[in-house]
Amino acid sequence: MRNLTARSVLLGLAAPLGALVFAALVCGIILAATGNSPIDTVDAMATAAQRPRTLVNSLNSATVYYLAAVAVAIGFRMKLFNIGVDGQYRLAAMLSAALAGAAFMDNLPSFLRIALTIGVAMLVGAGWAGLAALLKVTRGVSEVISTIMLNAIATYLVSYLLNPARLAETTPGSNNIGTAKITEGGQVPGIEVSGSSTKVFGLVVLAAVVGFVYWFVLSRTKFGFELKATGLSESAAVASGVSVKKMVVISMLLSGAVAGLVGMPQLLGSSYTYSLDFPPGLGFVGIAVALLGRNHPVGMMVAALLWGFLDNAANALDISGVPREIVLIMQGVIVLSVVVAYELVRRYRVRAEQQAVGKALGRTKTLEEVSA
Amino acid sequence: MSTEPPAGGAPAPAVQLSAITKRFPGVVANSDVNITVRAGTVHAIVGENGAGKSTLMKILYGMQQPDEGTIAVNGAPVSFSSPADAIRAGIGMVHQHFMLADNLTVLENVVLGSEPRKGVALDFGTARARIAEISAAYGLGVDPDRLVDDLGVGERQRVEILKVLYRGARTLILDEPTAVLVPQEVDELFGNLRDLKAEGLTILFISHKLDEVLSVADDITVIRRGTTVASVSPEGVTARKLAELMVGSALPVPELRESTVTDDAVLTVSGLTVVGADGRTVLDNVSFTIHAGEVLGIAGVEGNGQAELVEALMGIRSCNTGRIVLSGRDITRATTRHRREAGIGYIPEDRHRQGLLLEAPLWENRILGHQTSAPNVRGPLLDRKGAKRDTERIVDEYDVRTPGIDVNASALSGGNQQKLIVGREMSGSPVLLIASHPTRGVDVGAQAAIWEHIRRARAEQLAVLLISADLDELIGMSDTLSVILRGRFVADHDPATVTPEQLGSAMTGAGRED
Amino acid sequence: MALGLTLAACGSKNDSGSGGTTTGGGTSQAAAKLKIGLAYDIGGRGDQSFNDSAARGLDKAKSEFGIDVKELEAAAGETDAQKEDRLRQLAEGGYTTIIAVGFAYETAVEKTAKDFPEVKFAIIDSAGPSADNVANLTFAEQEGSFLVGVAAALKSKTGNVGFIGGVNVPLIQKFEVGFTAGVKAAKADATVQVKYLTQPPDFTGFNDPAKGETAAKGMFDAGADIVYAAAGGSGNGVFKTAKANGKFGIGVDSDQYNLPALADVKDVIITSMIKEVDVAVYDFITSVKDGKFAKGEKVYDLKAGGIDYATSGGKIDDIKSKIDEYKAKITSGEIKVPSTK
Repeated sequence: MRNLTARSVLLGLAAPLGALVFAALVCGIILAATGNSPIDTVDAMATAAQRPRTLVNSLNSATVYYLAAVAVAIGFRMKLFNIGVDGQYRLAAMLSAALAGAAFMDNLPSFLRIALTIGVAMLVGAGWAGLAALLKVTRGVSEVISTIMLNAIATYLVSYLLNPARLAETTPGSNNIGTAKITEGGQVPGIEVSGSSTKVFGLVVLAAVVGFVYWFVLSRTKFGFELKATGLSESAAVASGVSVKKMVVISMLLSGAVAGLVGMPQLLGSSYTYSLDFPPGLGFVGIAVALLGRNHPVGMMVAALLWGFLDNAANALDISGVPREIVLIMQGVIVLSVVVAYELVRRYRVRAEQQAVGKALGRTKTLEEVSA
Repeated sequence: MSTEPPAGGAPAPAVQLSAITKRFPGVVANSDVNITVRAGTVHAIVGENGAGKSTLMKILYGMQQPDEGTIAVNGAPVSFSSPADAIRAGIGMVHQHFMLADNLTVLENVVLGSEPRKGVALDFGTARARIAEISAAYGLGVDPDRLVDDLGVGERQRVEILKVLYRGARTLILDEPTAVLVPQEVDELFGNLRDLKAEGLTILFISHKLDEVLSVADDITVIRRGTTVASVSPEGVTARKLAELMVGSALPVPELRESTVTDDAVLTVSGLTVVGADGRTVLDNVSFTIHAGEVLGIAGVEGNGQAELVEALMGIRSCNTGRIVLSGRDITRATTRHRREAGIGYIPEDRHRQGLLLEAPLWENRILGHQTSAPNVRGPLLDRKGAKRDTERIVDEYDVRTPGIDVNASALSGGNQQKLIVGREMSGSPVLLIASHPTRGVDVGAQAAIWEHIRRARAEQLAVLLISADLDELIGMSDTLSVILRGRFVADHDPATVTPEQLGSAMTGAGRED
Repeated sequence: MALGLTLAACGSKNDSGSGGTTTGGGTSQAAAKLKIGLAYDIGGRGDQSFNDSAARGLDKAKSEFGIDVKELEAAAGETDAQKEDRLRQLAEGGYTTIIAVGFAYETAVEKTAKDFPEVKFAIIDSAGPSADNVANLTFAEQEGSFLVGVAAALKSKTGNVGFIGGVNVPLIQKFEVGFTAGVKAAKADATVQVKYLTQPPDFTGFNDPAKGETAAKGMFDAGADIVYAAAGGSGNGVFKTAKANGKFGIGVDSDQYNLPALADVKDVIITSMIKEVDVAVYDFITSVKDGKFAKGEKVYDLKAGGIDYATSGGKIDDIKSKIDEYKAKITSGEIKVPSTK
């Protein structure tokens, strides 16, 4: 078995690396065809990679993307497509921001304030996702449809609540509107990095913890096993005593709870308010990162870092005259080629394994030996 | 039963494989294989799944190269480095899974890859004429201008054969050609094969359906564990003898030894009624009892409520009325998990749908259905070590042929998958085993092993519910036999006296009026 | 007339500007070429709206002063940190004058300006960041909207008019509030239908003509005969629907009657609320070039120019005097147009 596992490690790396190389080639061709120098682009990215601020921003973006990816991946593991991470995190961030910024919170100890804020965000996210789960198990509504709908409803709800008459306040002279600013006691201090004007989100730790818990629960617990089994074969899971409805509800709640965390690093580490310019669309980035990382805790981490770096290198490209849209093309091509590469490797692996089994038959025991 | 060397004067054999050995790292797939295929005959190669038939055919078709040994075609030694070489030597292969493009016509499919040309233009006219000619010569009845998409399975297979003939093959390898056919199509295929033979072509026929082999083959070579163990002629051998040659031991028969039935009722079902989603009553007031050490066999034409009965017993399907009592405990409303924990082992009818996670390793499949009990879990955590160790035990005790427990279940043959399931379901000392078609689609070796395990379970005082379409199996393995028809238990038979014919007529309802 | 005034104002700048292009431009190039960085909001150059307006001002300054220009663009879904990074990269790249288009740059400007005291910043649509090197260029959109509201009320035969906002944000709400106030001032019993195309953070409402069409159709069906489209590029759809239904529309930001892209539907555009972001950008660059940078808020309103209404097409010539009465009252302070609900 040892050489099979050694090979499977190689195969595991072959897919993402091959896809990256392929994506780089495609992007190079696109750049050249549009009259931009691929070399200048690489140069600009390399320069960006040496700038501490870009790296810190990349890490911060990755932190948020990773949380979104984990939220998506929890559902993916049992073939449940939570497209609603986007709405879940926005609603959660908005409501928890309103709570964290409320005046009465000033009297609480810092730790409690932060814990409360994060707790409420998880609850809101879980609750919003729970609606989709409820619709699925009671009425059979596809979670894809319901979560997309809930995204739209969340948008309207946030927009309704983000009003001076309700949970928001305006600053005179500003066209922005947001929840009350969270005072220092409710903020999570960042980590200083020399040479960078921005700090690393303190909640990068939270993302690491979430990643670890995700790995542990999925690969080491009964629950994780049942989640995986349901994803691989619902009929086999049912026959094995797994209540699929219960799994749908639990995994959707967990996915939503993690989705609730997505806005936290930004909210408590940089924005301190949920306002019009709070970053939207992270839920969809999460889907891409989860796909890219194959729902694997480490894979998604790498994918999130890559995605974050590409996003933050865009400014450097822009300033050196390369259209920033190349980043979007790159991201798209990478996701597509990774999906294709994994499918190719999967097929190859199935064949290789069947061959291995065939080979091994030559040395198994005979029936006589067994019955003896 | 040794292969006779071609007598002087007789035509050289169409294909002669001598001392073929093929090693893969660490293992030997074929060793010292000797086959002589007489020209103008149908030569069958039989063997269990994984005996090495496929590797051998791949060698003959140039897809793999032998490490030792020689291949001679029409008496001349050859060496193939690719299928193209084999085709040039007049050897063609009809794969089990057709390689046809649905959206092209027969003509286009046949010429695909060897397009006829007149200068630079495609010359379909000549090709069409040749196809019609071949089709008529061998009675294939293929219309070159039909869309493959519109063809049935049997017709597609004839297109595949035609494709090979079109490329000039004189020796055809057919890999499990009947696996995808219904009986009538099988007869047609055999008719085609006889026509081909009459025209002087040579057929290599790979199969494990022994009755078919006996009806069509002129010579039979048996392969076991990678080597040729016998060459026989169909006149001098029975299907049973052939099967024993394949397995390498006396073929087991489904039979129970002395009765182990006790008075101790393990499963009591009373008045069980299940109404399907469409409002149809699929199980109608079914009552029975299985005692410790007893095998209750249920005979019936498929679709008469067997699947629903099993699902109702497993708690996968809820019952409308009735009571299910297991070891004195009412489990009518219990969940599937509780029933499993109460000691029901379950060998499902469709192992791919209900019994396995095909894309998960064997040791994870060991946990499936037993994810609440030792040695798989400790509290809420998986006991990976325990599960792996126990999987090793099952692989060992139940002779699951696999290179290891980390391969995915999909890599195993059906028989080995089934042995894994049996081993798993017998773990954790169950009190009741529900075995639904336990030997369906497995080779004879696995079949024997599974029967043996059911016998052993019975001896250990398990109650067994056996559902099968194989009447010999049912009669041989049951202590009590019930016939199910349209959701009702309509008759009981004594397996000691009943014949398959009597059982068959009871199953169709013909016997009810008697 | 009002447009004439603006044009005249522009013209006078043009004169001095072009005077400088030939001679002054040359000298400034010799001395030190002015390096200007401009950071757009999402959509960037080519959005047919707000960003394009800023780009026009920049282009004008560029052609007249021969300045060195770098334009960067925001991406959807980005954070403050990424906006800040954009400004910092400009500042680090030697761009000593930086214009941030849109209030989304508030935080970014505030943080970056602190670290680059020698760089002159301008932010459009925000009075937020305040520092010695930041100019805040804001607009009194409600005043112009008031005037087109008056026009709508006077021109409406049904006494029912509509307001279509691109995205429901405070900035566009200013348009709505001013418009409604204008309608009510001219005709107290008139009905104003209000509809926003999208809710934040979905900003597609500024660039989705199909949504504009649907919304306008609904309003016309409900009795409106004039609709004010404060919705950027989505206005095209509003005007198309107006034309198809024999109704009218009011444009926004620039004199949309004269936009080549809208030539097909210009007949239905009775007036436009003009918000001259281009003028603000151009003025700001001029002030820096001339060494007359002024920190703090500069409000572009009716009185100061930069906000006005258009008369191209002659559709409101008959009521122009009435509108100008209101205009005079606003500039004199007699009418104070509200900016929030």
